[in-house]
Amino acid sequence: MSLLRYTAWRIVQAVPVLIGILTIVFFLVNAIPGDPVSIMLGPSPGVEQIAEVRAKYGLNEPVHERYLNYLASVAQGDLGESINVNSGMPVTKLIMNRLPITLLLTVSAFAFAIVTAIPLGIISAKRRNEPTDHVARIVSLIGVSTPSFWIGLMLIIVFATHLDLFPSRDLVMPWTEPGTGSRVTRRADSQLEIISLSIRHLILPMITLGTLQMAQITRIERSTMVDTLQDEYIKLARAYGVSERTIIRKHAFRPAQLPVITIIGLGLSTALGGAVLTETVFGINGMGRLIIQGIHQRDYPVVMGTTIVFGVTYLVGVIITDISYAYIDPRVKYGDQE
Amino acid sequence: MSHQLPEITRRGLLGSGAAVSAAAIAGCIGGSSDDGDNELYFTQEKGWAYKFDPIVANGVPTAQVNEQIYEGLYTYNEDATNSLVPVLADGEPEVSDDGLTWTIGIKDEATFQNGDDVTAEDVKYSFEAPVKEETENAAEVNMIDSIEAVDDKTVEFTLKYPYAAFNTVVIANIVPKSERDGNEKDFGHSPVGSGPFQWVEWEDGQYVLLERWDDYWGEQSPNISGVEFDFVTEQSTRVTGLETGESDVIETVPPQLWEDVKNMNNASIASSLGIGYFYLAFNCNEGPTADPQVREAVDYVFSMDDAVESFVEPAGVRQYSPFPQSVVDAWDFPADQWAEIPHDRDIDQATQLFEDAGVDKDYAWNIIVPPDDMREAIGQSVSNGLKEAGFNNVTFERLEWGTFLDLYATGSEDDYNMFTLGWSGSPDPEAFTYYLFAQELEGSTNGTYYSNDEVDQLIMDAREEPEQEARREMYIEATNTILEDRVHLPAYNTYNSYGVANYVSDFTSHPSSAIIPLSTGYNNVNVE
Repeated sequence: MSLLRYTAWRIVQAVPVLIGILTIVFFLVNAIPGDPVSIMLGPSPGVEQIAEVRAKYGLNEPVHERYLNYLASVAQGDLGESINVNSGMPVTKLIMNRLPITLLLTVSAFAFAIVTAIPLGIISAKRRNEPTDHVARIVSLIGVSTPSFWIGLMLIIVFATHLDLFPSRDLVMPWTEPGTGSRVTRRADSQLEIISLSIRHLILPMITLGTLQMAQITRIERSTMVDTLQDEYIKLARAYGVSERTIIRKHAFRPAQLPVITIIGLGLSTALGGAVLTETVFGINGMGRLIIQGIHQRDYPVVMGTTIVFGVTYLVGVIITDISYAYIDPRVKYGDQE
Repeated sequence: MSHQLPEITRRGLLGSGAAVSAAAIAGCIGGSSDDGDNELYFTQEKGWAYKFDPIVANGVPTAQVNEQIYEGLYTYNEDATNSLVPVLADGEPEVSDDGLTWTIGIKDEATFQNGDDVTAEDVKYSFEAPVKEETENAAEVNMIDSIEAVDDKTVEFTLKYPYAAFNTVVIANIVPKSERDGNEKDFGHSPVGSGPFQWVEWEDGQYVLLERWDDYWGEQSPNISGVEFDFVTEQSTRVTGLETGESDVIETVPPQLWEDVKNMNNASIASSLGIGYFYLAFNCNEGPTADPQVREAVDYVFSMDDAVESFVEPAGVRQYSPFPQSVVDAWDFPADQWAEIPHDRDIDQATQLFEDAGVDKDYAWNIIVPPDDMREAIGQSVSNGLKEAGFNNVTFERLEWGTFLDLYATGSEDDYNMFTLGWSGSPDPEAFTYYLFAQELEGSTNGTYYSNDEVDQLIMDAREEPEQEARREMYIEATNTILEDRVHLPAYNTYNSYGVANYVSDFTSHPSSAIIPLSTGYNNVNVE
């Protein structure tokens, strides 16, 4: 099976999984006490009015009918309208507004994690049980065990409030046109300045969200690199007098990345979950905050729409992981009999 | 604990910061230019609806924006003491003797931002649309029987019954019929009103931008060139934004950060008591709390004064009746007399009353509260008091809003014996009596199921009594009984509070949380 066919097959396999996720979430959300209309209107008089609004949103139909109608709408690309979070707004539009913000945050957090963790892990493995290794292990232990919201708050206190180096909130999209948008970008004269603003706004939330991933990847990188460097073929290379740098670069690095790729692939969805707290602390209105608002306000269409995005992201992460395995390690096959 | 920080100049962060980072990151200097405008950056607590259309908009954040774009026939005065201040109206309303007909004239000079005159047709349309379109706001105008445009500048409302609090209805925003009729779907995306600020743009989840309408028809033009709203739900992040100069004004200073904001070098707090009421309510329908003696015993198990002092102040104040201070002042209610009714904490007295009422020590108490720290603390105080009085089986639950709203008005002992809740309304006693105690609203907004026909009759009669003094007497009589019977234990009211940067002048807080006064008869905000 070619890589292309394998990828297509994995995507086809993902469809029933996604429908399964949708089904479970739909019935779970509908099972929670309270409905969007009671939250929208709060404690308010007028049973008639509540009934009218429920009918308007189709909430007076039996849950199984609503489920089937929802699936039919999704199949046509219609995710419905937000009931409470942004009353009346198409969920597709809501997601398209919020998704880039979260993607920018998540992707940059991952970039930060990978760029810092892989060298740190390799150095730590190379200098095993030396002070450098101890420092790296302590750093990663702290990173794994410190709650991200606390890291965020500390970064804000130090770098935003006291040192006035970085902004404490909002994100700026680097492609924003100068002179447009919010107060942050309206004053910018050039695209270069927008990019600079974007980076400055991104640094603190990126570190906040990326620290856990960085710590996890460092630990995995170190342990797999330590194991790899013990392998027979590495010992043989050393015996031949190959330099340590070449051994790591040419012989040890690639095979040692397999477990790291697993962590990165599956970590993508974890990071989306982590974005909820980071977005809250930094006042960023992205997907993380959207799903939380949706759940709190029983905004069924928003919860379902964000579930689709999170579900697809998770499945994409899994598929990319599998494909990367095959690419990095030729021994891994595309799942067919040879 | 408070931070003592060096004073940060406004936009210093954006200006110098951009320059520094551009130099550091891109290797060139590209500081942002200060264009010398005086926009106000206002950070709200929550986000907006999809449409900035008062006919369909439901919720305070959207209303705060709409109040800058649109105007009503009247507005509340500075203290919201129920005195109508004409805005589009040319004077006081003419009310018929039977209270059924309200005739209102419109100012000749009043115009919309599209240049059209504000006419009686626009007013008629604005009040009829919520009912015709079955929007969430329909209930607010359901006492109107018919509206007639007598002429271009005179409108006549005929009511289904003499609704005494109709003056709280005629503050509704007026929209231009020519812009909205037939364009209902898109009107809220490019709204047009008659207010001093006009629409520029908005970005979902990020900001709403308004600019000063230079041709505003009214007497006073705003000092500020515009206002940009954004929202940050996390309290500490909002406060940090004020500290760092990212916001000029922030909405709602929480009690735990009150001192921090108060002690900031570069900001202060503007606050006024809201038109609100927070309380502990009893299930008078089922269970031991149906007995007034038991309710009195609960009053003895804890000190509401201490609870409010510990958990609400300085962000709010103790309140002894359902009526906020603005209503008490405007109606000259006997607040001092009502303040004498609650008991101080006395566990022995409480235990005795529980015994006399025959409440079993093994009884499973159930207290529910919504997801709000202050209301949770009140409920928790009662729970602790019951345990001190010898009850070991006390369930105290903080529920999500959706779950809480499903339970609090069922009247079932299985769902609750007590709950804490709040009510914010218009500055008329009706808002704090009819909705909370009227028998016809049991299961809707009245979760107490307190059945006292005399009190109910007084509340219903007062709604339709046009004579204010007669209404006042009715409300006093009903409230005396309600408080003595301990249907509720009134708890507190909160301030509408704002953190305001020092370079913002003349910013003031209004008792109505929907009103952010930027350019009014009593203030004109400036950013220096």
